Amino acid sequence: MTSKRSSLVVPVPSEGDFTSRLRSPAVAARVGLWLGISFGICFLTGLISHYAQNGNQPIPFPATPFWGYRVTQGLHVISGTAAIPLLLVKLWAVYPKLFQSMPWGDVRAMAVTGLERISIAVLVAGGVFMLLTGLLNTAQWYPWSFSFRPTHYAVAWVTIGALVVHIAVKLPIIRDALTGDVEDTTHDRPSAVETGALSRRGLLRTTWAATGIAVLATAGSTVPFLRNISVLAVRTGDGPQGVPINRSARAAQVTMEEGGAGWTLDVVNGEGVATSWSRGDLEQLTQRTETLPIACVEGWSASAEWTGVRLRDLLDAAGVPTGTDLRMVSLQKRYAFGVTELQGNFADADKTLIALKLNGEDLSLDHGYPARLIAPNRPGVLQTKWLTSVEVI
Amino acid sequence: MAGVSLTRSALGVLGFLVGVYGAYLLLSRQDFDQLLSAAIWLAGGVVVHDGLIALAALGLAAIGARLLPSVARTPAAAGFVVLGSITILAIPMLGRFGAKDDNATLLDRNYGLGWLGIVVLVVAAVLVASLLRARTSGETGAPDTRTDLEGDPS
Repeated sequence: MTSKRSSLVVPVPSEGDFTSRLRSPAVAARVGLWLGISFGICFLTGLISHYAQNGNQPIPFPATPFWGYRVTQGLHVISGTAAIPLLLVKLWAVYPKLFQSMPWGDVRAMAVTGLERISIAVLVAGGVFMLLTGLLNTAQWYPWSFSFRPTHYAVAWVTIGALVVHIAVKLPIIRDALTGDVEDTTHDRPSAVETGALSRRGLLRTTWAATGIAVLATAGSTVPFLRNISVLAVRTGDGPQGVPINRSARAAQVTMEEGGAGWTLDVVNGEGVATSWSRGDLEQLTQRTETLPIACVEGWSASAEWTGVRLRDLLDAAGVPTGTDLRMVSLQKRYAFGVTELQGNFADADKTLIALKLNGEDLSLDHGYPARLIAPNRPGVLQTKWLTSVEVI
Repeated sequence: MAGVSLTRSALGVLGFLVGVYGAYLLLSRQDFDQLLSAAIWLAGGVVVHDGLIALAALGLAAIGARLLPSVARTPAAAGFVVLGSITILAIPMLGRFGAKDDNATLLDRNYGLGWLGIVVLVVAAVLVASLLRARTSGETGAPDTRTDLEGDPS
């Protein structure tokens, strides 16, 4: 009876059933090195992006260089994309470990093995989660009910913590593997002896190629000269007036009438006194033109020529001293970031404009007509569109 | 040697503390339904990889080892690594699941055609490499008869 039942059940493999000599620490450490580097870049650039979006900034996020956030957030998404082939090959190389038997009987060994396996489970779950949710976020696909930003941020800390523990546990093997020859078998499992279609060098070169293709196929969303070859990029970089949009006026429930004859931009100073300008009034003030990127948290970016009034000029007219933090209020009625904070160093930056024109034309409604904020080195979600008031906090 | 173990212990403690901080952030900022959804996605990624993607890779490698002539196996294995990872990466774009009818600037390419272009280039490279190998080795290649679990590595 027992033997009959077991013959009907799919057998669970053991570590020894995996015989390819490619599933080796020599391969895993080399792929893991680049995977670790890409996770590190993702983590650091992610911290920058998270901080840039924080209302509360003990150390003000700098307004220079104007292209800074475009580069860090582009790098964030590019290195995350590069990590996808790397993670798949890395998990393939260590897959037999999933079927490693527990050292039953020896309590201390069981505790050590158990702890290590828990840390690996956390690392794999976190790593897959980060790349998957990040990828889906670039394509604005949210088939879950958790909030993306706090969850992606929190799991990043969990994943990096588990990665550091993993490196601590494996350090001697990593060091041996990376300093030794790729063909070295010192740390291989006894069964990992069979040569297959690919050599170890062949698998590594293929992995680097897959990683390079993944980057080239997607990075055009933010790297202009790759636009024509990035066939999987979520944005061509084109759109109304030459710039893509993220949130349409329809989605934000803003209409052309609201920005019509009755519209004014109100600047409310520290005493609560408002100074108001109609769009016609703003057009009479000194107009400045700045070339600044819209750099979205989802990793796409596009540079454009913005024309309008320097925000500092309006603040001077309204009696707002330099170094004052501001609240930017939009006409938008739906979604987050309808009210954002603009730190004093951004408000005072010469390049920070209340833009009225984009690439030589009046702003289209989807780009924030009648007026929008455009500031250097700032995440796209904070470049408030459909501005209605600017208030001293 | 004591120095080495000290480095490792310090790294281990650091990693643990960083992870605990992340867990605190995760658990303290959202309600139960959101956390449940996050837990499902955390566990789901592992289950889908270990139970589906890894098995599919094993199965396809075994099929390739049986059906492909020996000269084609190395190029095909390399092509499989490239196409497999690129295809997984392309799923959100191919499905256009995040597309919005009020925003024509999002997902504004023909992704099916783009993906097909990559497939054609990779398959062409595999064919050319296989033909070159056939010419240099002078053999046509016999089907492989191995029956072990792994067949060709992918």
